[in-house]
Amino acid sequence: MKRAKSVPSGIVSASLDTRSQAQAKETGLPSVKEGRLRTYEPGDNVQRFLDLLGRRITRSLAVSMTACVHCGLCAESCHYFLARPDDPTMTPVWKADQIRKIFKKHIDWTGRVAPWWVNAASLRDDEDLNRLKNIVFGSCSACRRCTYNCPMGVDTGLLVRFTRGLLTELGIVPEGVFNVSRDQWETGNQMAVTEQDYLETLEWMRDEVRTELGTASVDIPVDKPDCEVLYTINPREIKFDPRSIAHAAKVFHAAGESWTLPKWGWDQTNFGLFSGDDKLGAYIARNVYEAAERLRAKRIVISECGHGYRSTRWEGYNWADYDQKLPTESVVVTLKRYLKEGRIAVDPARNPEAVTFHDSCNIARSGDLVEEPREVLRRVCPDFREMFPNRSENFCCTGGGGLLSMAEYRPLRLEVARIKADQLRATGAKLVCTMCHNCVDGLNDVIKHYKLPMRVVQVLELVSKALVVPGRDETKKTAR
Amino acid sequence: MSNLLKFVENEVQLAALVFLAVVYAARLIWIFRFRSRKERTFAAGSGAVGAGYSLMNVAMPWAMESTRKRPGFYAQFVVFHLGVVAAIAATFIIPYAPEIFRIRAVTLAFQSLLAAAFFAGLLRLVRRLTNPVLRLVSSADDYLSLTLMILFFGAGVLAVPNDYRRAEWPLILFFGLTAFFLVYVPFSKICHYLYYPFSRYYLGRSMGHRGAFPQGRKSRPPVAGPVKENRA
Amino acid sequence: MPHIEVDGKRIEVNEEGFLAHPEEWNEETAGLLAKAEEGLEELTPEHWAVVKFIREYYLEKNLAPMVRKMCQATGFPLMKIYDLFPSGPAKGACKVAGLPKPDGCV
Repeated sequence: MKRAKSVPSGIVSASLDTRSQAQAKETGLPSVKEGRLRTYEPGDNVQRFLDLLGRRITRSLAVSMTACVHCGLCAESCHYFLARPDDPTMTPVWKADQIRKIFKKHIDWTGRVAPWWVNAASLRDDEDLNRLKNIVFGSCSACRRCTYNCPMGVDTGLLVRFTRGLLTELGIVPEGVFNVSRDQWETGNQMAVTEQDYLETLEWMRDEVRTELGTASVDIPVDKPDCEVLYTINPREIKFDPRSIAHAAKVFHAAGESWTLPKWGWDQTNFGLFSGDDKLGAYIARNVYEAAERLRAKRIVISECGHGYRSTRWEGYNWADYDQKLPTESVVVTLKRYLKEGRIAVDPARNPEAVTFHDSCNIARSGDLVEEPREVLRRVCPDFREMFPNRSENFCCTGGGGLLSMAEYRPLRLEVARIKADQLRATGAKLVCTMCHNCVDGLNDVIKHYKLPMRVVQVLELVSKALVVPGRDETKKTAR
Repeated sequence: MSNLLKFVENEVQLAALVFLAVVYAARLIWIFRFRSRKERTFAAGSGAVGAGYSLMNVAMPWAMESTRKRPGFYAQFVVFHLGVVAAIAATFIIPYAPEIFRIRAVTLAFQSLLAAAFFAGLLRLVRRLTNPVLRLVSSADDYLSLTLMILFFGAGVLAVPNDYRRAEWPLILFFGLTAFFLVYVPFSKICHYLYYPFSRYYLGRSMGHRGAFPQGRKSRPPVAGPVKENRA
Repeated sequence: MPHIEVDGKRIEVNEEGFLAHPEEWNEETAGLLAKAEEGLEELTPEHWAVVKFIREYYLEKNLAPMVRKMCQATGFPLMKIYDLFPSGPAKGACKVAGLPKPDGCV
């Protein structure tokens, strides 16, 4: 982009790192050998990119390419630009134009005949592809806040994902993206957790809950058929913080629910959403749907994860060409139902600290849950405060779009997180509650970097803390 | 009325309109050749309601933070686009229903609207030339389209009284520009009014199906006000 | 390569605050990392029990241990690990033990 050189730009210039890819090829990983996980090969990648672009573009994306009138209203909706107002390369319109100009040059009309008239341009070489990688992976969390503020309905967030998908197919991705994709292809979960680790962690949490509740009647079933609920989790819950599994077990026990986790197909997270790889997205989502079918569960419940919710509840069925058969819901919706039906009893006095709620992009903008977490929180916390803006207008935690796995973009990410820090600080709350594990880590980074006196919690944790369990607590349980 | 003016008002317009229609038809076919993805999930809302909400976006400035925060810009948008409607109406009224413009009140109303649109256009051109974001992303098409629209509104102010006996050049200029636009629009960003129903429909249908559109209770600032308001 | 400065000493770290050269780790580095990244003025024997286990596991298996293994080896309940290392086992304890950042969105 000729003119971009004369303006200050925060776009990180990370070169293409293929060490992990080389290692994967050397060790002959099945997903690489069978071509499911793509690696970078020198050659005419620009032509391959253009072929993919032409083949994969859908009608709604094509219209997003053509409908932009360069009005600039999206600029102030993006936390990257709000934090760096002297850097026009941080605006959604500029970022989208980096793929749009290629579309205009090769697919649209005027751009093919007179490219200079409409700012159409082509990519020259793999260096240009790498620069594009830095833009779509490193300066955008695909939060879709710009989409919601565009008068024409241009979906820049989706355009960014689309572009990522093209680059992923060529192996031109940040190393972190390759690593996590590799792990999810090879092991069926995002963090390469083995089956043994998975089962043993579940047993461990079961024992912890039994100790806490003083009863052996609580269980964490695995592969139990004909249950009401198939519970699916985030691998982070096994590898790093299994407390949320314990919380879920407590709540299901108190509600008298018939539930199970599957032995295979338990990962509700989906890196295909972040890398733009519909193939990976389909594979992981299908594992979950088939597990539910195999175990004849009546409903799929997804633990608290934003991108996991969006992938498993919404996108996954379309990626996998799998018609939805079972109700698929977030565990927060399950909690809301339990509270409404009186299946669990809660004592809000156990959560006295001021709590605010952070709406996750993939749940409030790309999904349908806005009032539900609030309804649950109001039952378990006496001091609940809204941040501003909120709901579908909330700002991204700044760690979205897979950014947490891409170390090279962290400094820019933390710099622009100033917007989020200001928003959090203004609430005066001690706790910020979120329905997304990714947001937990994203917000923790913001809190630590900007030294905010706050802690991040999730809905399950607050409900579990407030849970009135018969036998353990004196209070009588509400009749079911 | 000279033969030139009659020709420009009538035959040239019709030819240009036919050209526009043909190119638009081709463009629509082009759009429909891209594939559409099938939706396989249970709905959490209504795709139809979402699409309706989305299509109404242009008339709901409170629905988006961007237009809520910039009411002046939205007002410019309204004036500018009402001017477009008035100008297009004038290109049909002048040759085919000239008696309408013999009513002084109507002529004054059109002239006022076109003059306001002229000034709104000037403000927008200044913005496009001075705002660093727009300077970076704007193309030649963006600048020319806007400049010609401003000229078009100006010519409209002078043409609408339809006083061809006194001077024909405002009318020739006005209709000349109209013909140019009819030929140029399908290849320029001005075509966005053709794309608007599509982009808004697809976004609205998808978000409506997911229950994200219409957006619910609007986020309101807390009573005490946020600690720091971010204005770029 | 970014670095942190603690008590007048420089340690090279990557963008996330993890040790840039894991092979250069020693007990002094651990203390400096704990101070700079976790806000821990000093490491108690309980901290060291966790850190030593992680370090040995990593040197043997070239992997970060699962938190369950950390709890089993040290006998600490999960809550205790979070008490000792506020950033948690992955970002806190593993960082102090000089491991590279674990993969994944974490």
